Amino acid sequence: MNFSSIPSLFKKSSAYYLWVCVFILIVLGITSSLYYSALKIDYVWRWYRIPQYFVYHDLVEIKAEITGEIESIQLKDEKAVIRVTGDGESESYTVPTSDIRLFEGDLISPGDILATYKKWRIGILMEGLWLTLKVSVIAIFFGIFIGLFTGIARISSNPALKWSAITYIEFIRGSPLLVQIFIWYFVLGTLINNILAIQGIHQIPPLWFGVAALAFFTGAYVAEMVRAGIQSIHFGQTEAAQSLGMTYIQSMRYIILPQALRRILPPLAGQFISLIKDSSLLGIIAIRELTKATREVITTSLQPFELWFVCAILYLILTFSLSMFVQYLERRTEIT
Amino acid sequence: MIDVKNISKTFKSHSTEVKALVNVTAKVDKGEVVVVLGPSGSGKSTFIRCLNYLNVADEGSIVIDGIDILDPKTDINKVRAEVGMVFQSFNLFPHKTVLENVTLAPIVVRKNSKEEAKKKGMALLEKVGILDKADVYPDQLSGGQQQRVAIARALAMEPKVMLFDEPTSALDPEMVGEVLDVMKNLAREGMTMVVVSHEMGFAREVADRVIFMDEGAVVEVGTPEHFFTNPTHERTKLFLSQIL
Repeated sequence: MNFSSIPSLFKKSSAYYLWVCVFILIVLGITSSLYYSALKIDYVWRWYRIPQYFVYHDLVEIKAEITGEIESIQLKDEKAVIRVTGDGESESYTVPTSDIRLFEGDLISPGDILATYKKWRIGILMEGLWLTLKVSVIAIFFGIFIGLFTGIARISSNPALKWSAITYIEFIRGSPLLVQIFIWYFVLGTLINNILAIQGIHQIPPLWFGVAALAFFTGAYVAEMVRAGIQSIHFGQTEAAQSLGMTYIQSMRYIILPQALRRILPPLAGQFISLIKDSSLLGIIAIRELTKATREVITTSLQPFELWFVCAILYLILTFSLSMFVQYLERRTEIT
Repeated sequence: MIDVKNISKTFKSHSTEVKALVNVTAKVDKGEVVVVLGPSGSGKSTFIRCLNYLNVADEGSIVIDGIDILDPKTDINKVRAEVGMVFQSFNLFPHKTVLENVTLAPIVVRKNSKEEAKKKGMALLEKVGILDKADVYPDQLSGGQQQRVAIARALAMEPKVMLFDEPTSALDPEMVGEVLDVMKNLAREGMTMVVVSHEMGFAREVADRVIFMDEGAVVEVGTPEHFFTNPTHERTKLFLSQIL
Protein backbone atom coordinates (compact mmCIF):
# COMPACT_ATOMS: atom_id res chain seq x y z
CA MET A 1 0.00 0.00 0.00
CA ASN A 2 1.43 3.30 -1.07
CA PHE A 3 0.35 5.82 1.54
CA SER A 4 1.92 8.76 -0.21
CA SER A 5 -0.70 8.49 -2.96
CA ILE A 6 -3.65 8.89 -0.59
CA PRO A 7 -3.38 12.64 0.10
CA SER A 8 -3.12 13.29 -3.64
CA LEU A 9 -6.65 11.91 -4.02
CA PHE A 10 -7.92 14.88 -2.07
CA LYS A 11 -5.58 17.38 -3.60
CA LYS A 12 -7.35 17.47 -6.97
CA SER A 13 -8.39 20.96 -7.98
CA SER A 14 -12.03 21.99 -7.97
CA ALA A 15 -11.90 22.22 -11.78
CA TYR A 16 -11.27 18.47 -11.80
CA TYR A 17 -14.49 17.79 -9.90
CA LEU A 18 -16.37 20.18 -12.14
CA TRP A 19 -15.41 18.09 -15.17
CA VAL A 20 -16.33 14.88 -13.34
CA CYS A 21 -19.81 16.41 -12.93
CA VAL A 22 -19.87 17.31 -16.61
CA PHE A 23 -19.12 13.68 -17.47
CA ILE A 24 -21.94 12.42 -15.24
CA LEU A 25 -24.30 14.96 -16.81
CA ILE A 26 -23.38 13.79 -20.31
CA VAL A 27 -24.14 10.17 -19.40
CA LEU A 28 -27.42 11.10 -17.71
CA GLY A 29 -28.34 13.37 -20.61
CA ILE A 30 -27.89 10.66 -23.23
CA THR A 31 -29.78 8.11 -21.14
CA SER A 32 -32.71 10.37 -20.39
CA SER A 33 -33.02 11.71 -23.93
CA LEU A 34 -33.12 8.11 -25.14
CA TYR A 35 -35.84 7.32 -22.63
CA TYR A 36 -37.76 10.47 -23.50
CA SER A 37 -37.61 9.74 -27.25
CA ALA A 38 -38.86 6.21 -26.62
CA LEU A 39 -41.82 7.63 -24.69
CA LYS A 40 -42.62 9.90 -27.65
CA ILE A 41 -43.07 6.91 -29.94
CA ASP A 42 -45.07 4.99 -27.32
CA TYR A 43 -42.39 2.40 -26.78
CA VAL A 44 -43.14 0.38 -23.65
CA TRP A 45 -40.02 -0.73 -21.85
CA ARG A 46 -40.46 -4.23 -20.44
CA TRP A 47 -37.19 -5.08 -18.77
CA TYR A 48 -38.92 -7.72 -16.64
CA ARG A 49 -39.31 -9.85 -19.76
CA ILE A 50 -35.58 -10.07 -20.36
CA PRO A 51 -34.39 -12.52 -17.62
CA GLN A 52 -36.46 -15.38 -19.08
CA TYR A 53 -34.15 -15.42 -22.10
CA PHE A 54 -31.23 -16.24 -19.80
CA VAL A 55 -32.87 -18.86 -17.56
CA TYR A 56 -36.51 -19.76 -17.18
CA HIS A 57 -38.68 -22.02 -15.09
CA ASP A 58 -40.09 -24.48 -17.57
CA LEU A 59 -43.27 -26.52 -16.91
CA VAL A 60 -42.65 -30.17 -17.79
CA GLU A 61 -45.71 -32.35 -18.39
CA ILE A 62 -45.59 -36.14 -18.07
CA LYS A 63 -48.16 -37.72 -20.36
CA ALA A 64 -49.58 -41.23 -20.53
CA GLU A 65 -48.69 -43.31 -23.58
CA ILE A 66 -51.30 -46.10 -23.36
CA THR A 67 -55.00 -46.54 -22.65
CA GLY A 68 -55.80 -48.07 -19.27
CA GLU A 69 -56.42 -47.62 -15.61
CA ILE A 70 -54.15 -46.31 -12.91
CA GLU A 71 -53.41 -49.37 -10.83
CA SER A 72 -51.33 -47.82 -8.09
CA ILE A 73 -49.53 -44.66 -7.02
CA GLN A 74 -46.71 -45.43 -4.63
CA LEU A 75 -44.72 -42.71 -2.90
CA LYS A 76 -41.05 -43.42 -2.65
CA ASP A 77 -38.29 -40.93 -1.58
CA GLU A 78 -40.24 -37.79 -2.63
CA LYS A 79 -41.02 -39.42 -5.96
CA ALA A 80 -44.18 -41.21 -6.97
CA VAL A 81 -44.32 -44.35 -9.11
CA ILE A 82 -47.53 -44.46 -11.15
CA ARG A 83 -48.45 -47.84 -12.59
CA VAL A 84 -50.87 -47.92 -15.50
CA THR A 85 -52.37 -51.19 -16.85
CA GLY A 86 -54.79 -51.90 -19.65
CA ASP A 87 -55.23 -54.21 -22.66
CA GLY A 88 -52.51 -56.53 -21.46
CA GLU A 89 -49.98 -53.68 -21.41
CA SER A 90 -48.54 -51.98 -18.39
CA GLU A 91 -46.32 -48.94 -17.94
CA SER A 92 -44.86 -47.24 -14.90
CA TYR A 93 -43.83 -43.60 -14.61
CA THR A 94 -41.63 -42.11 -11.92
CA VAL A 95 -42.69 -38.48 -11.31
CA PRO A 96 -42.04 -35.76 -8.71
CA THR A 97 -44.87 -35.52 -6.18
CA SER A 98 -45.35 -31.74 -6.56
CA ASP A 99 -48.33 -31.87 -8.94
CA ILE A 100 -49.92 -35.30 -9.49
CA ARG A 101 -53.14 -34.74 -11.42
CA LEU A 102 -54.80 -38.18 -11.10
CA PHE A 103 -55.84 -40.77 -8.53
CA GLU A 104 -55.76 -44.56 -8.30
CA GLY A 105 -58.55 -46.08 -10.38
CA ASP A 106 -58.79 -43.23 -12.94
CA LEU A 107 -59.21 -44.26 -16.55
CA ILE A 108 -56.76 -42.67 -18.96
CA SER A 109 -56.00 -42.54 -22.65
CA PRO A 110 -52.72 -41.59 -24.43
CA GLY A 111 -51.87 -37.91 -24.04
CA ASP A 112 -53.51 -37.43 -20.66
CA ILE A 113 -51.34 -35.47 -18.27
CA LEU A 114 -50.31 -37.62 -15.32
CA ALA A 115 -48.21 -35.05 -13.49
CA THR A 116 -46.28 -31.83 -14.02
CA TYR A 117 -43.20 -30.33 -12.46
CA LYS A 118 -41.06 -27.25 -12.94
CA LYS A 119 -37.48 -27.23 -14.07
CA TRP A 120 -34.88 -24.48 -14.67
CA ARG A 121 -33.74 -24.26 -18.28
CA ILE A 122 -31.08 -22.23 -20.06
CA GLY A 123 -32.60 -19.48 -22.23
CA ILE A 124 -31.74 -18.72 -25.84
CA LEU A 125 -29.60 -15.66 -25.08
CA MET A 126 -27.49 -17.69 -22.67
CA GLU A 127 -27.08 -20.39 -25.33
CA GLY A 128 -26.05 -17.70 -27.82
CA LEU A 129 -23.55 -16.23 -25.39
CA TRP A 130 -22.08 -19.66 -24.74
CA LEU A 131 -21.77 -20.36 -28.47
CA THR A 132 -20.09 -16.99 -29.08
CA LEU A 133 -17.64 -17.74 -26.28
CA LYS A 134 -16.95 -21.24 -27.62
CA VAL A 135 -16.44 -20.10 -31.22
CA SER A 136 -14.18 -17.24 -30.11
CA VAL A 137 -12.01 -19.35 -27.82
CA ILE A 138 -11.46 -22.03 -30.47
CA ALA A 139 -10.77 -19.43 -33.17
CA ILE A 140 -8.32 -17.54 -30.92
CA PHE A 141 -6.52 -20.79 -30.11
CA PHE A 142 -6.05 -21.74 -33.77
CA GLY A 143 -5.46 -18.09 -34.75
CA ILE A 144 -2.45 -17.96 -32.43
CA PHE A 145 -0.94 -21.08 -33.97
CA ILE A 146 -1.59 -20.00 -37.55
CA GLY A 147 -0.25 -16.52 -36.78
CA LEU A 148 2.86 -17.83 -35.07
CA PHE A 149 3.85 -20.12 -37.92
CA THR A 150 2.90 -17.66 -40.65
CA GLY A 151 4.72 -14.83 -38.87
CA ILE A 152 7.92 -16.90 -38.70
CA ALA A 153 7.46 -18.08 -42.30
CA ARG A 154 6.98 -14.44 -43.33
CA ILE A 155 10.57 -13.56 -42.35
CA SER A 156 12.07 -16.83 -43.57
CA SER A 157 14.65 -16.69 -46.34
CA ASN A 158 12.99 -19.70 -48.02
CA PRO A 159 10.90 -18.23 -50.88
CA ALA A 160 8.26 -21.00 -50.73
CA LEU A 161 7.56 -20.23 -47.06
CA LYS A 162 7.91 -16.48 -47.38
CA TRP A 163 5.76 -16.05 -50.48
CA SER A 164 3.09 -18.44 -49.20
CA ALA A 165 2.89 -16.39 -46.01
CA ILE A 166 2.72 -13.07 -47.89
CA THR A 167 0.05 -14.36 -50.29
CA TYR A 168 -2.08 -15.69 -47.44
CA ILE A 169 -1.73 -12.50 -45.38
CA GLU A 170 -2.54 -10.19 -48.30
CA PHE A 171 -5.54 -12.24 -49.43
CA ILE A 172 -7.04 -12.36 -45.96
CA ARG A 173 -6.37 -8.73 -45.09
CA GLY A 174 -7.55 -7.54 -48.48
CA SER A 175 -11.04 -9.04 -48.50
CA PRO A 176 -14.04 -8.54 -46.19
CA LEU A 177 -14.55 -11.07 -43.43
CA LEU A 178 -18.18 -11.43 -44.50
CA VAL A 179 -17.07 -12.58 -47.95
CA GLN A 180 -14.54 -14.95 -46.41
CA ILE A 181 -17.25 -16.51 -44.24
CA PHE A 182 -19.38 -17.04 -47.37
CA ILE A 183 -16.43 -18.61 -49.16
CA TRP A 184 -15.70 -20.93 -46.24
CA TYR A 185 -19.32 -21.98 -45.91
CA PHE A 186 -20.71 -22.00 -49.45
CA VAL A 187 -17.58 -22.86 -51.46
CA LEU A 188 -15.10 -24.73 -49.30
CA GLY A 189 -17.89 -26.13 -47.11
CA THR A 190 -19.77 -27.54 -50.09
CA LEU A 191 -16.60 -29.00 -51.62
CA ILE A 192 -15.36 -30.56 -48.39
CA ASN A 193 -18.72 -31.95 -47.33
CA ASN A 194 -19.38 -33.40 -50.81
CA ILE A 195 -16.03 -35.13 -50.85
CA LEU A 196 -16.69 -36.44 -47.33
CA ALA A 197 -20.14 -37.68 -48.47
CA ILE A 198 -18.56 -39.54 -51.39
CA GLN A 199 -16.11 -41.16 -48.96
CA GLY A 200 -19.03 -41.99 -46.65
CA ILE A 201 -17.66 -39.89 -43.78
CA HIS A 202 -19.71 -37.66 -41.45
CA GLN A 203 -20.49 -34.11 -42.59
CA ILE A 204 -18.76 -31.15 -40.92
CA PRO A 205 -21.34 -28.82 -39.32
CA PRO A 206 -21.39 -25.10 -40.30
CA LEU A 207 -19.94 -24.15 -36.92
CA TRP A 208 -16.51 -25.42 -37.92
CA PHE A 209 -16.46 -23.48 -41.20
CA GLY A 210 -17.32 -20.38 -39.18
CA VAL A 211 -14.51 -21.12 -36.74
CA ALA A 212 -12.11 -21.70 -39.64
CA ALA A 213 -13.06 -18.37 -41.25
CA LEU A 214 -12.44 -16.51 -37.99
CA ALA A 215 -9.22 -18.40 -37.16
CA PHE A 216 -7.65 -17.82 -40.59
CA PHE A 217 -8.80 -14.20 -40.61
CA THR A 218 -7.25 -13.57 -37.18
CA GLY A 219 -4.16 -15.64 -38.05
CA ALA A 220 -3.21 -13.21 -40.84
CA TYR A 221 -3.26 -10.23 -38.47
CA VAL A 222 -1.49 -12.14 -35.70
CA ALA A 223 1.18 -13.15 -38.24
CA GLU A 224 2.01 -9.52 -38.99
CA MET A 225 2.18 -8.77 -35.27
CA VAL A 226 4.46 -11.75 -34.66
CA ARG A 227 6.69 -10.61 -37.51
CA ALA A 228 6.89 -7.08 -36.12
CA GLY A 229 7.49 -8.48 -32.62
CA ILE A 230 10.38 -10.68 -33.77
CA GLN A 231 11.93 -7.88 -35.81
CA SER A 232 11.69 -5.53 -32.84
CA ILE A 233 13.98 -7.74 -30.75
CA HIS A 234 17.55 -6.47 -30.98
CA PHE A 235 19.70 -8.54 -33.32
CA GLY A 236 22.28 -8.91 -30.53
CA GLN A 237 19.90 -11.37 -28.87
CA THR A 238 20.01 -13.68 -31.88
CA GLU A 239 23.78 -13.30 -32.09
CA ALA A 240 24.20 -14.12 -28.41
CA ALA A 241 22.04 -17.22 -28.79
CA GLN A 242 23.92 -18.27 -31.93
CA SER A 243 27.31 -17.71 -30.32
CA LEU A 244 26.30 -20.19 -27.59
CA GLY A 245 25.70 -22.82 -30.27
CA MET A 246 21.90 -22.64 -30.33
CA THR A 247 20.13 -23.66 -33.52
CA TYR A 248 17.62 -21.36 -35.21
CA ILE A 249 14.71 -23.19 -33.59
CA GLN A 250 16.32 -23.11 -30.14
CA SER A 251 17.07 -19.40 -30.32
CA MET A 252 13.50 -18.70 -31.51
CA ARG A 253 11.95 -20.82 -28.80
CA TYR A 254 14.03 -19.79 -25.80
CA ILE A 255 15.24 -16.29 -26.66
CA ILE A 256 13.35 -14.44 -29.39
CA LEU A 257 9.71 -15.57 -29.17
CA PRO A 258 9.30 -15.21 -25.39
CA GLN A 259 10.47 -11.60 -25.66
CA ALA A 260 8.53 -10.88 -28.86
CA LEU A 261 5.24 -12.34 -27.57
CA ARG A 262 5.43 -10.31 -24.40
CA ARG A 263 5.92 -7.19 -26.48
CA ILE A 264 2.95 -7.87 -28.79
CA LEU A 265 0.49 -8.81 -26.03
CA PRO A 266 -1.38 -5.44 -26.13
CA PRO A 267 -2.03 -5.46 -29.92
CA LEU A 268 -2.88 -9.19 -29.71
CA ALA A 269 -5.52 -8.41 -27.09
CA GLY A 270 -7.03 -5.83 -29.44
CA GLN A 271 -7.10 -8.37 -32.25
CA PHE A 272 -8.84 -10.99 -30.11
CA ILE A 273 -11.39 -8.45 -28.91
CA SER A 274 -12.10 -7.75 -32.59
CA LEU A 275 -12.49 -11.48 -33.18
CA ILE A 276 -15.13 -11.80 -30.44
CA LYS A 277 -17.08 -8.95 -32.02
CA ASP A 278 -16.59 -10.28 -35.58
CA SER A 279 -18.08 -13.62 -34.51
CA SER A 280 -21.43 -11.77 -34.69
CA LEU A 281 -21.21 -12.21 -38.48
CA LEU A 282 -21.49 -15.98 -38.15
CA GLY A 283 -25.28 -15.69 -37.80
CA ILE A 284 -25.46 -15.47 -41.61
CA ILE A 285 -24.36 -19.10 -41.95
CA ALA A 286 -26.98 -20.35 -39.48
CA ILE A 287 -24.76 -20.40 -36.40
CA ARG A 288 -26.96 -19.23 -33.53
CA GLU A 289 -24.39 -17.13 -31.69
CA LEU A 290 -25.30 -14.17 -29.51
CA THR A 291 -26.35 -11.72 -32.25
CA LYS A 292 -28.44 -14.26 -34.13
CA ALA A 293 -30.00 -15.42 -30.85
CA THR A 294 -30.88 -11.81 -30.02
CA ARG A 295 -32.53 -11.33 -33.43
CA GLU A 296 -34.57 -14.48 -32.90
CA VAL A 297 -35.70 -13.34 -29.46
CA ILE A 298 -36.69 -9.96 -30.89
CA THR A 299 -38.92 -11.53 -33.53
CA THR A 300 -40.88 -13.31 -30.81
CA SER A 301 -40.78 -10.75 -27.98
CA LEU A 302 -40.96 -7.50 -29.98
CA GLN A 303 -38.72 -5.76 -27.41
CA PRO A 304 -35.82 -4.65 -29.66
CA PHE A 305 -34.65 -1.73 -27.50
CA GLU A 306 -33.98 -3.74 -24.36
CA LEU A 307 -32.60 -6.75 -26.22
CA TRP A 308 -30.05 -4.89 -28.34
CA PHE A 309 -28.76 -3.15 -25.24
CA VAL A 310 -28.53 -6.49 -23.44
CA CYS A 311 -26.75 -7.98 -26.45
CA ALA A 312 -24.21 -5.14 -26.50
CA ILE A 313 -23.59 -5.49 -22.76
CA LEU A 314 -23.04 -9.23 -23.08
CA TYR A 315 -20.38 -8.62 -25.75
CA LEU A 316 -18.86 -6.00 -23.48
CA ILE A 317 -18.65 -8.53 -20.66
CA LEU A 318 -16.75 -10.96 -22.92
CA THR A 319 -14.37 -8.39 -24.37
CA PHE A 320 -13.74 -6.67 -21.05
CA SER A 321 -12.93 -9.99 -19.33
CA LEU A 322 -10.47 -10.80 -22.11
CA SER A 323 -8.90 -7.39 -21.81
CA MET A 324 -8.52 -7.85 -18.03
CA PHE A 325 -7.02 -11.30 -18.56
CA VAL A 326 -4.40 -9.94 -20.97
CA GLN A 327 -3.54 -7.13 -18.57
CA TYR A 328 -3.01 -9.77 -15.91
CA LEU A 329 -0.73 -11.68 -18.30
CA GLU A 330 1.21 -8.51 -19.02
CA ARG A 331 1.75 -7.89 -15.32
CA ARG A 332 2.70 -11.48 -14.70
CA THR A 333 5.32 -11.56 -17.46
CA GLU A 334 6.70 -8.16 -16.55
CA ILE A 335 10.43 -8.31 -15.88
CA THR A 336 11.21 -6.74 -12.54
CA MET B 1 44.01 -23.55 -32.11
CA ILE B 2 42.91 -20.83 -34.51
CA ASP B 3 44.45 -20.63 -37.95
CA VAL B 4 43.22 -17.84 -40.21
CA LYS B 5 44.55 -17.70 -43.75
CA ASN B 6 43.99 -14.87 -46.22
CA ILE B 7 40.43 -13.99 -45.29
CA SER B 8 38.70 -11.06 -46.93
CA LYS B 9 35.30 -9.57 -46.26
CA THR B 10 33.45 -6.86 -48.17
CA PHE B 11 30.17 -5.38 -46.95
CA LYS B 12 28.00 -4.49 -49.90
CA SER B 13 24.94 -2.30 -49.85
CA HIS B 14 23.20 -1.14 -53.03
CA SER B 15 25.36 1.95 -53.42
CA THR B 16 28.56 1.38 -51.48
CA GLU B 17 31.16 -1.27 -50.90
CA VAL B 18 33.22 -1.35 -47.75
CA LYS B 19 36.30 -3.53 -47.62
CA ALA B 20 36.28 -4.58 -43.96
CA LEU B 21 38.98 -7.24 -44.18
CA VAL B 22 41.73 -7.52 -46.78
CA ASN B 23 43.78 -10.69 -46.91
CA VAL B 24 44.08 -11.18 -43.16
CA THR B 25 46.24 -14.01 -41.87
CA ALA B 26 46.64 -14.75 -38.17
CA LYS B 27 47.37 -17.60 -35.84
CA VAL B 28 46.46 -18.18 -32.21
CA ASP B 29 48.05 -21.04 -30.32
CA LYS B 30 46.50 -22.95 -27.45
CA GLY B 31 46.70 -21.04 -24.19
CA GLU B 32 47.71 -17.85 -25.93
CA VAL B 33 46.16 -14.44 -25.31
CA VAL B 34 46.06 -12.32 -28.43
CA VAL B 35 44.91 -8.71 -28.28
CA VAL B 36 43.76 -7.09 -31.51
CA LEU B 37 44.32 -3.33 -31.57
CA GLY B 38 43.56 -0.73 -34.16
CA PRO B 39 41.68 2.50 -34.81
CA SER B 40 37.92 2.30 -35.22
CA GLY B 41 36.90 1.07 -38.64
CA SER B 42 40.08 -0.96 -38.93
CA GLY B 43 38.17 -4.26 -39.26
CA LYS B 44 39.12 -5.74 -35.90
CA SER B 45 35.50 -6.39 -34.86
CA THR B 46 34.72 -7.93 -38.25
CA PHE B 47 37.79 -10.12 -37.83
CA ILE B 48 36.72 -11.50 -34.45
CA ARG B 49 33.10 -11.94 -35.60
CA CYS B 50 34.34 -13.95 -38.59
CA LEU B 51 35.98 -16.38 -36.16
CA ASN B 52 32.49 -17.17 -34.82
CA TYR B 53 30.76 -17.14 -38.21
CA LEU B 54 28.61 -14.18 -37.10
CA ASN B 55 30.15 -12.55 -40.14
CA VAL B 56 31.01 -14.86 -42.99
CA ALA B 57 34.36 -14.31 -44.65
CA ASP B 58 34.09 -14.05 -48.45
CA GLU B 59 37.31 -15.94 -49.09
CA GLY B 60 40.23 -17.57 -47.33
CA SER B 61 40.10 -20.24 -44.64
CA ILE B 62 39.47 -20.27 -40.91
CA VAL B 63 40.37 -23.43 -39.03
CA ILE B 64 39.42 -23.68 -35.37
CA ASP B 65 40.62 -26.70 -33.40
CA GLY B 66 41.11 -28.60 -36.66
CA ILE B 67 37.67 -27.75 -38.10
CA ASP B 68 37.37 -25.58 -41.22
CA ILE B 69 34.42 -23.37 -40.29
CA LEU B 70 33.97 -22.01 -43.84
CA ASP B 71 33.42 -25.54 -45.17
CA PRO B 72 29.67 -25.80 -45.99
CA LYS B 73 29.64 -29.31 -44.51
CA THR B 74 30.68 -28.03 -41.08
CA ASP B 75 27.93 -27.85 -38.45
CA ILE B 76 28.61 -24.30 -37.32
CA ASN B 77 26.55 -24.71 -34.13
CA LYS B 78 28.95 -27.42 -32.92
CA VAL B 79 31.90 -25.07 -33.49
CA ARG B 80 30.16 -22.13 -31.82
CA ALA B 81 29.46 -24.27 -28.75
CA GLU B 82 33.23 -24.60 -28.34
CA VAL B 83 33.92 -20.91 -28.92
CA GLY B 84 32.73 -18.47 -26.27
CA MET B 85 31.86 -14.93 -27.30
CA VAL B 86 31.53 -11.78 -25.22
CA PHE B 87 29.92 -8.75 -26.89
CA GLN B 88 30.44 -5.05 -26.44
CA SER B 89 26.76 -4.58 -25.51
CA PHE B 90 26.59 -7.70 -23.28
CA ASN B 91 23.46 -9.07 -25.06
CA LEU B 92 22.21 -10.82 -21.93
CA PHE B 93 18.75 -12.34 -22.20
CA PRO B 94 16.53 -9.80 -20.41
CA HIS B 95 13.66 -12.24 -19.78
CA LYS B 96 15.89 -14.71 -17.92
CA THR B 97 17.45 -14.34 -14.50
CA VAL B 98 21.22 -14.13 -14.15
CA LEU B 99 21.44 -17.82 -13.29
CA GLU B 100 19.10 -18.80 -16.14
CA ASN B 101 21.24 -16.78 -18.55
CA VAL B 102 24.21 -18.91 -17.52
CA THR B 103 22.46 -22.30 -17.43
CA LEU B 104 20.25 -22.02 -20.54
CA ALA B 105 22.80 -23.00 -23.18
CA PRO B 106 24.30 -25.92 -21.19
CA ILE B 107 20.76 -27.29 -20.70
CA VAL B 108 19.50 -26.65 -24.23
CA VAL B 109 22.63 -27.17 -26.31
CA ARG B 110 24.77 -29.48 -24.17
CA LYS B 111 21.75 -31.36 -22.78
CA ASN B 112 23.12 -31.10 -19.24
CA SER B 113 20.67 -31.87 -16.44
CA LYS B 114 19.17 -28.86 -14.70
CA GLU B 115 20.88 -29.65 -11.38
CA GLU B 116 24.25 -30.11 -13.04
CA ALA B 117 23.89 -26.88 -15.02
CA LYS B 118 22.79 -24.99 -11.92
CA LYS B 119 25.72 -26.28 -9.87
CA LYS B 120 28.17 -25.31 -12.59
CA GLY B 121 26.40 -21.98 -13.12
CA MET B 122 26.61 -21.05 -9.44
CA ALA B 123 30.31 -21.93 -9.42
CA LEU B 124 30.89 -19.67 -12.45
CA LEU B 125 28.90 -16.81 -10.91
CA GLU B 126 31.06 -17.12 -7.82
CA LYS B 127 34.14 -17.05 -10.00
CA VAL B 128 33.08 -13.76 -11.65
CA GLY B 129 32.07 -12.42 -8.24
CA ILE B 130 28.33 -12.06 -8.78
CA LEU B 131 26.86 -15.02 -6.89
CA ASP B 132 24.55 -12.82 -4.79
CA LYS B 133 22.73 -11.63 -7.93
CA ALA B 134 21.89 -15.11 -9.24
CA ASP B 135 18.13 -14.63 -9.07
CA VAL B 136 17.76 -11.06 -10.32
CA TYR B 137 17.15 -9.97 -13.91
CA PRO B 138 19.98 -8.42 -15.96
CA ASP B 139 18.28 -4.99 -16.09
CA GLN B 140 18.93 -4.56 -12.39
CA LEU B 141 22.68 -4.97 -12.74
CA SER B 142 25.32 -2.38 -13.52
CA GLY B 143 27.14 -2.60 -16.84
CA GLY B 144 30.21 -4.17 -15.26
CA GLN B 145 28.09 -6.79 -13.50
CA GLN B 146 26.22 -7.54 -16.74
CA GLN B 147 29.44 -8.05 -18.63
CA ARG B 148 30.73 -10.40 -15.94
CA VAL B 149 27.49 -12.41 -16.23
CA ALA B 150 28.02 -12.48 -20.01
CA ILE B 151 31.52 -13.90 -19.45
CA ALA B 152 30.10 -16.53 -17.07
CA ARG B 153 27.42 -17.37 -19.65
CA ALA B 154 30.08 -17.99 -22.31
CA LEU B 155 32.27 -19.99 -19.89
CA ALA B 156 29.33 -22.23 -18.95
CA MET B 157 29.72 -23.94 -22.33
CA GLU B 158 33.30 -24.86 -21.34
CA PRO B 159 34.69 -23.33 -24.52
CA LYS B 160 38.15 -24.01 -25.89
CA VAL B 161 38.54 -20.40 -27.02
CA MET B 162 37.06 -17.16 -25.74
CA LEU B 163 36.46 -14.22 -28.08
CA PHE B 164 36.01 -10.75 -26.56
CA ASP B 165 34.64 -8.05 -28.85
CA GLU B 166 35.43 -4.74 -27.13
CA PRO B 167 34.17 -6.05 -23.79
CA THR B 168 34.79 -2.81 -21.87
CA SER B 169 33.92 -0.17 -24.47
CA ALA B 170 30.30 0.23 -23.33
CA LEU B 171 31.19 0.45 -19.64
CA ASP B 172 31.47 3.42 -17.33
CA PRO B 173 35.16 3.97 -16.53
CA GLU B 174 34.89 2.82 -12.91
CA MET B 175 33.53 -0.56 -14.03
CA VAL B 176 36.21 -1.41 -16.56
CA GLY B 177 38.53 -2.73 -13.87
CA GLU B 178 36.23 -5.42 -12.53
CA VAL B 179 35.70 -6.89 -16.01
CA LEU B 180 39.39 -6.77 -16.88
CA ASP B 181 40.18 -8.53 -13.58
CA VAL B 182 37.94 -11.42 -14.54
CA MET B 183 39.63 -11.58 -17.95
CA LYS B 184 43.09 -11.51 -16.40
CA ASN B 185 42.18 -14.42 -14.13
CA LEU B 186 40.97 -16.35 -17.15
CA ALA B 187 44.23 -15.66 -18.97
CA ARG B 188 46.20 -16.86 -15.95
CA GLU B 189 44.22 -20.11 -15.95
CA GLY B 190 45.48 -20.74 -19.46
CA MET B 191 42.35 -19.95 -21.48
CA THR B 192 42.98 -19.28 -25.16
CA MET B 193 41.69 -15.76 -25.76
CA VAL B 194 41.27 -13.34 -28.63
CA VAL B 195 40.49 -9.85 -27.36
CA VAL B 196 39.53 -6.83 -29.42
CA SER B 197 40.09 -3.92 -27.09
CA HIS B 198 41.24 -0.38 -26.57
CA GLU B 199 42.65 -1.23 -23.15
CA MET B 200 46.38 -0.72 -23.68
CA GLY B 201 47.14 -1.58 -20.07
CA PHE B 202 45.46 -4.95 -20.46
CA ALA B 203 47.31 -5.61 -23.73
CA ARG B 204 50.64 -4.72 -22.19
CA GLU B 205 50.09 -6.79 -19.05
CA VAL B 206 48.28 -9.89 -20.29
CA ALA B 207 48.79 -10.30 -24.03
CA ASP B 208 51.21 -12.84 -25.40
CA ARG B 209 50.94 -11.17 -28.76
CA VAL B 210 49.42 -8.02 -30.14
CA ILE B 211 47.95 -7.76 -33.63
CA PHE B 212 47.65 -4.24 -34.98
CA MET B 213 45.14 -3.71 -37.76
CA ASP B 214 44.37 -0.76 -39.99
CA GLU B 215 42.00 -0.43 -42.95
CA GLY B 216 41.11 -4.10 -42.85
CA ALA B 217 44.64 -5.40 -42.97
CA VAL B 218 47.14 -6.66 -40.39
CA VAL B 219 49.88 -4.04 -40.12
CA GLU B 220 52.06 -5.44 -37.39
CA VAL B 221 52.21 -8.48 -35.11
CA GLY B 222 54.47 -8.80 -32.11
CA THR B 223 54.94 -9.17 -28.40
CA PRO B 224 53.65 -6.30 -26.26
CA GLU B 225 57.23 -5.20 -25.47
CA HIS B 226 58.03 -4.98 -29.16
CA PHE B 227 54.72 -3.34 -29.99
CA PHE B 228 54.69 -0.66 -27.33
CA THR B 229 58.40 0.18 -27.16
CA ASN B 230 59.80 -0.52 -30.57
CA PRO B 231 57.15 -0.61 -33.32
CA THR B 232 58.43 -0.98 -36.86
CA HIS B 233 55.64 0.54 -38.94
CA GLU B 234 54.90 4.23 -39.27
CA ARG B 235 51.15 3.59 -38.94
CA THR B 236 51.69 1.82 -35.61
CA LYS B 237 53.85 4.65 -34.34
CA LEU B 238 51.19 7.18 -35.31
CA PHE B 239 48.46 5.14 -33.57
CA LEU B 240 50.50 4.81 -30.40
CA SER B 241 51.36 8.50 -30.38
CA GLN B 242 47.66 9.31 -30.63
CA ILE B 243 46.52 7.13 -27.76
CA LEU B 244 49.39 7.09 -25.29
